[in-house]
Amino acid sequence: MSAHNFETPTRQSAKGIVVIFGVSLYRILKATIIIFAALVYKFISSGKTAYLTSTKFILITLGVLLLFLVIAILRYLNFKFYVSSDYFFLQKGIFNKEEISVSTSKIQNVYIKQNVLQQIINVVSLSIETAGDDKTEIEISALSKSKAEALKTLLLKVAKPETFIDGEIVEDAVYFKASIKKLFLEGVSENHFKSFALIFAFIISIYNDIKAFVNQLELTSAFGSWFQLDEESLMTFILFNVTIVVVLIIMSFFLSLIRMLIQNFNLTVKRKSEGLEISKGLLNKINLSLSASRIQNTTRTTNRLKQALGLYKLSFTQAMANKKQQLNFNIVGLGKTQINELLEQFYPKAEERLIKHKPNKYLMYRLLSVSILTLLLLNMPLYFGPRSLLFLNIPIVMLVVASAIFAYKKAYYYLDSNYIIVGSGKLIDTHTNFLEIKKVQAVSLNQSIFQKTRGLASVVIYTASKPLTIPHVELTTALTIKNYLLFKVESENKDWM
Amino acid sequence: MTLFSNTQIEITELPKSEDLNLHLISPKYFRIILFNTTLLHTVVIASFLTFSLLVDEPEVKTAFWYFLVVACVLCAISVLFYAIGFKKRKYAMREKDITYSHGYLLNKTVTLPYNRIQHIEIARSFLARKLGLSTLKIYSAGQSGGDLAIKGLPVDVAETQYAFLTKIINERS
Repeated sequence: MSAHNFETPTRQSAKGIVVIFGVSLYRILKATIIIFAALVYKFISSGKTAYLTSTKFILITLGVLLLFLVIAILRYLNFKFYVSSDYFFLQKGIFNKEEISVSTSKIQNVYIKQNVLQQIINVVSLSIETAGDDKTEIEISALSKSKAEALKTLLLKVAKPETFIDGEIVEDAVYFKASIKKLFLEGVSENHFKSFALIFAFIISIYNDIKAFVNQLELTSAFGSWFQLDEESLMTFILFNVTIVVVLIIMSFFLSLIRMLIQNFNLTVKRKSEGLEISKGLLNKINLSLSASRIQNTTRTTNRLKQALGLYKLSFTQAMANKKQQLNFNIVGLGKTQINELLEQFYPKAEERLIKHKPNKYLMYRLLSVSILTLLLLNMPLYFGPRSLLFLNIPIVMLVVASAIFAYKKAYYYLDSNYIIVGSGKLIDTHTNFLEIKKVQAVSLNQSIFQKTRGLASVVIYTASKPLTIPHVELTTALTIKNYLLFKVESENKDWM
Repeated sequence: MTLFSNTQIEITELPKSEDLNLHLISPKYFRIILFNTTLLHTVVIASFLTFSLLVDEPEVKTAFWYFLVVACVLCAISVLFYAIGFKKRKYAMREKDITYSHGYLLNKTVTLPYNRIQHIEIARSFLARKLGLSTLKIYSAGQSGGDLAIKGLPVDVAETQYAFLTKIINERS
């Protein structure tokens, strides 16, 4: 045993009061800031400010702060945890007492996190995740780093590794560290269309407000006199829209760049015999272990630009983890050899025997007809507008056709006695999904009436995280795949986690 | 990976899920579908009717009649598709897995191995109790949607299957 004793119920570090206080204050402020600001605004505009002297204001603020402090202290005093006979126990609650017990064998992951406040007072929080449900929150907000590490080791000790890899791995040596330059390149080469679309939708909804605002600034008249155009209204229209698009592109570019840098700051990966240890983050530092038995699917993602720069992303999924948590399982900025080595660790000898089976060409035709149909529907209002706008369709059609062709080109599937590998992608992105057959939960054969007339079907493979689809293959092939997967799962009877 | 032998399996000799003799669910369940669909459309029509009565505008009154026709046509179409698709609602149990197939426009045949079942459940709505029907729900792990819900099983069949599955789950561990 280590120097720390976890057998008797203990409280967290006394600094926990500060963390609980800070976090609850932050949450309340975040939730009520709009209402609060509205109240203040109303109060000031009503002209009753004279009643509220600065002493009164300070007293109210102090009262609220004191209340929060008392709650924080009470919560701290009523929060105890211990580990006993392979179970982790947690008692909490001021009025509503709660006792949580988790079998260590059911623990999926243990996170060590550090937000800005915790970084300042030098403590870490430790949270435990089970596959059961995503609502149960087991989080100890303040522990010293060494104590958290010791508790983590104790909790994860029981989870036995299932895959054995060669003894060449040196424990605790840093395997991969993403430099600022790499992260910068990752951020720059992101598929900016996605964030662009999001911001674009937002701007459209407040389009008229912006227009009014810009008109108020009288920018257009200033620019208009530069160009000295007679058709001022058309000029205004074009200039205004071009500016908006340019601003949007720059904004979305910087947003994803900053997000990438903050989330993955100091990304470090360590290889362990049972899996990986990932730590990253600037404002919220996080440290987590991924063990092979807990991983459900693995996806390798890259796009055209990233491929040219030699950048790959590896994302793992675990059972029942929520979307936000799932982001933490991403490793960005990996080089080609590194990603191959990591995949080799979790899926030994998978890629060298990979044979790409192609799905039916119907995949391409379906994509084409669906997007052309949507385009035609979108074109309907243009019938009443100027004909010149119809030319906008030309680049869109080219994009749609190219996208469909590449969607077919990049699609493949592979299946052997251990793995299912499915490749997919569109014009820009390329994804490769890896799944161990023993992680399969259920298999579905889907057939639409369009597929039926062509004798095709899709196989959907359900796992404890996201489903994997082998799209549009011959019905006989689909049935064979389904039968084979069911046979493997039922005859081998291996654990899925 | 040398712990088990890995001799080649003849693909043609695998147990075939397509040869399964699938059972139809109880035809009484169609009454529940019919009731639910008409109820849904009636509620929508009724709320629009109250709206048009409250607002005293002739345009709204005319719009209501168009709306009524559209809603009735939609109701008829969905009942028609339910009627065609009803014969597609089939299930079967094998030694090691359970299969449920449904859907006309998009037919899904989901097979869930018994060794992946997390828990099972029998649900009975008010109408189902009156008609002697049950819904058998079988859950696998995770949230990806590989769960089965066989609707419209006769009570005794559902109970027998529930008992059978419970026995299997208990013997498993």
